[in-house]
Amino acid sequence: MISKTILPRGTILTLCAVAVFSLSGCKLVKNVPEDEKAVSAGASGDEVRTEQRIADTFETRLLPYVRDRALSYQAFRAALAQGLDEAGQSHGNRGSGQGAAWNFAITDSGRIVSAKLDTRARVAELDIDGDGSADVTVQLGPVIRGNALRDIAPFYNFDDFRDQIEFAKLGRALNDQVSAMVQLPEGDLVGRRMAFTGVTPLKKADEAVLVTPISVDVLP
Amino acid sequence: MNIKRRLLITAMALGVFGATTGFAASAATIAIITPSHDNPFFKAEADGAAAKAKELGYDTMVLVHDDDANKQSELFDTVIAAGVAAIILDNAGADASVAAVQKAKDAGIPSFLIDREITATGVAVSQIVSNNYQGAQLGAEEFVKLMGEAGEYAELVGKESDTNAGIRSQGYADVISQYPDLKSVARQTANWSQTEAFTVMESMLQANPGIKGVISGNDTMAMGAWAALEAAGRTDVIVVGFDGSNDVRDSIMAGGIKATVLQPAYQQAQLAVEQADKYIKTGSTGLDEKQLMDCVLINGDNAAKLETFALSE
Repeated sequence: MISKTILPRGTILTLCAVAVFSLSGCKLVKNVPEDEKAVSAGASGDEVRTEQRIADTFETRLLPYVRDRALSYQAFRAALAQGLDEAGQSHGNRGSGQGAAWNFAITDSGRIVSAKLDTRARVAELDIDGDGSADVTVQLGPVIRGNALRDIAPFYNFDDFRDQIEFAKLGRALNDQVSAMVQLPEGDLVGRRMAFTGVTPLKKADEAVLVTPISVDVLP
Repeated sequence: MNIKRRLLITAMALGVFGATTGFAASAATIAIITPSHDNPFFKAEADGAAAKAKELGYDTMVLVHDDDANKQSELFDTVIAAGVAAIILDNAGADASVAAVQKAKDAGIPSFLIDREITATGVAVSQIVSNNYQGAQLGAEEFVKLMGEAGEYAELVGKESDTNAGIRSQGYADVISQYPDLKSVARQTANWSQTEAFTVMESMLQANPGIKGVISGNDTMAMGAWAALEAAGRTDVIVVGFDGSNDVRDSIMAGGIKATVLQPAYQQAQLAVEQADKYIKTGSTGLDEKQLMDCVLINGDNAAKLETFALSE
């Protein structure tokens, strides 16, 4: 689907050279034959770089990072009561650039009060505080929206990416990782309990909480 | 035509020269260079930058390059000769603009880029770029929802030489391709043009009468497509645009076009001037060179709050 820029061989070699010299420290080089060792710095190298980033960071850094920082829903609300920026500075991470959302990790469980499953972007709404109304919406894939998993991690920096396209490709790849992990039981979910750990992006303190999960469990 | 334009610019430049030399001891000047103001988006950028510069006590020199890299290069010569304190630029080509910005840097004049990226870093001081990919994802998600995740659709693509045309198209594809029941039946460029979009939409509709939705790379093309759909009595077709223009806002509020995505052009230009001011005064912006700026979905819920590429709270 995504068109690839085709560069003349000379340019590719130059770009490769640039990639190797200027990005020392990054693990860009996969185990490939000697004469193709470097990855193109252009769009054609995005796929390899994205895969490598996922391999280097998803299991070992991102998942533990989210788990370690996750607040209970109650603690998350209490932090937000101090103001979004204050809460973000102590518990969250801001996405790249002006107007970007603060991202918070949350772990909790609640009763499923509604579930929309007849869509490619499935969601369940959970009541956590027991008042009968929905407090959070959990994304269940296969289509996962947004870039919450990318943007909560301070180790994914826009400056380290060629452009917004390469940056976006990482966001999508992270979503695809969790989408593949979500397993739901057959049948109606409403009324059952769900435990989750995940990330929500917020631009305003009173915005609806939409969670991109790193784990969901429908409890028996 | 070209000569006439060039004369005009020279005349403008001279006019500004006259003004600055006339007030030799007065404030420094900030140059604001964008594509043609015929597109209200670029006018909003220039207006936003000029208003902020004035507020901060600068004189301004407002120029247009008409997406012509040669002309842009000449404008850079002009403003360098004029000894401006900083340049705010919406550039005329990601590769071609690097040399012009470097030329200014060599002359000791810092450049602050808005809207579009250039392909080099370390040349401009700031590159404040609309996150077109994120914006396109937002627009596509709304489009998918409006389409009920199924049906035939067409895409109008922007001018191929403009980086943002490709970025938006990829952002659309990224989301829509995840819905197998959405079928692309036509995909064609209308070069950002309203009249061209009208013609393209007419022929797309003839070839594919089953079209249920149209996703457009910008608002002017969305307006052209909508006019063609109205003329054909097909106001049932879902149209989504990109930019957040007042025209599309009005159409949304009248129940025509369904949604668009706002690039906060006015605010972005103001931010660039603030960073220029800080850099002039302190020698640093204190920020990364490349800064993304999120786009915002506009639909029936918030269209009323949109005015000249800015959303009120």
